[in-house]
Amino acid sequence: MLQAATIQGATPVTVVRDDHRLASACAAGDSKVFEEIYRRYGDRMKSIAFNHLGTTADAEDAVQETFLKIHRAASTYTGEASFATWIFRILVNTCYDLLRKRRRRIEEAPIDDTFDSIKRSAATVDDAKRMTLRKMLDELPEQRRSVFMLFEIEGLSHAEIGEVLGISEGNSKWILFATKKELQEKWKKR
Amino acid sequence: MTISCEEFDQLLLEGDAASLLVAEQHAQDCAACLERLDDWSEISAVAQTMRAEWSSDTLWPRIRRELQLAPPPQRVYANWFRVAAAILITVALGASAWYVAHLRSQREFDRDILRLAVLDEVQRAEESHEKAIAQLEKLAEAKLDEADAPAITTYKEKLMLLDTAIAECQSAIDRNRQNAYLRKQLLAMYSEKQQTLREVLREENTNVTNR
Repeated sequence: MLQAATIQGATPVTVVRDDHRLASACAAGDSKVFEEIYRRYGDRMKSIAFNHLGTTADAEDAVQETFLKIHRAASTYTGEASFATWIFRILVNTCYDLLRKRRRRIEEAPIDDTFDSIKRSAATVDDAKRMTLRKMLDELPEQRRSVFMLFEIEGLSHAEIGEVLGISEGNSKWILFATKKELQEKWKKR
Repeated sequence: MTISCEEFDQLLLEGDAASLLVAEQHAQDCAACLERLDDWSEISAVAQTMRAEWSSDTLWPRIRRELQLAPPPQRVYANWFRVAAAILITVALGASAWYVAHLRSQREFDRDILRLAVLDEVQRAEESHEKAIAQLEKLAEAKLDEADAPAITTYKEKLMLLDTAIAECQSAIDRNRQNAYLRKQLLAMYSEKQQTLREVLREENTNVTNR
């Protein structure tokens, strides 16, 4: 299960029940439950969106769009994946859509890495290294970038990444390895 | 645990804590692998600091407003309605198919009954012909045995031919009693035989009158 569930100390059974409760409430249009989802997953959603899109404004647009999609599609939630994974799948797909729209509009959007209000969990790593890695990630194909970000940045397991991206756990592992190997080559030459 | 440089990649692919520990132990004695592991770990370390956090007081109010403006979500009963409609259509199609099949079998049954009724009628007609022929044969028997007139000889030959044809036809009918054509032929031959026998009797009367 995702960290959000683990942090709350919930057992798998209660998590499944909770996922169905959230989905049913969303399908019924209960506005309070959307606030609960935002409180639970909002920060992580913003981070995932930011690391895909590069700007806080676009990230917030993606999160907003994702909530509207959850509102429309909650009745189709089957419970095969956890509700959090289902939300992240919608979010990642929304980010892909926005990236494609943006690509059609402009050649390349600058990465908003200088946004002052963004706090990072550690200040020990040099900002230059972070910038370098981000540029390298931007050159990767969508799926490889998503696997790397979801595993290394967001801390999702390969099983969860598989559910989010619609690939197998083994494939997620292999993609991460191949991506890191490629990044390592570039990292050496930087 | 000692591993080779070739196995080093496999440990990085596995990526779990235990595999990375073994990789680290190997790297302590292998400069090339140590360099790779350092870069590998550094990339992960840098990535872990890239999780973005920022406060956004306006985002949730914005989302709430958009949700309020959004049209009502697709209800579950909408799906149930589709399922119910699909079931109804399936049942209606099934009932129509059953009705058509039933109607067809009813028609076939009626046709069979009709065929049997016609066959009974034909059977009765044949029996009545046979009785009539038997009576006529009794009446004409003496004349046919005694008379040497050329006309009677011709009738005798004709009756023999008719008997042979009737026997063949009956044998064919025994193999297929439903064959309407054969039964029609048989009735025609019975009629012809009756007609011939009547002519034989008239011939006798004519001869008596002429004498």
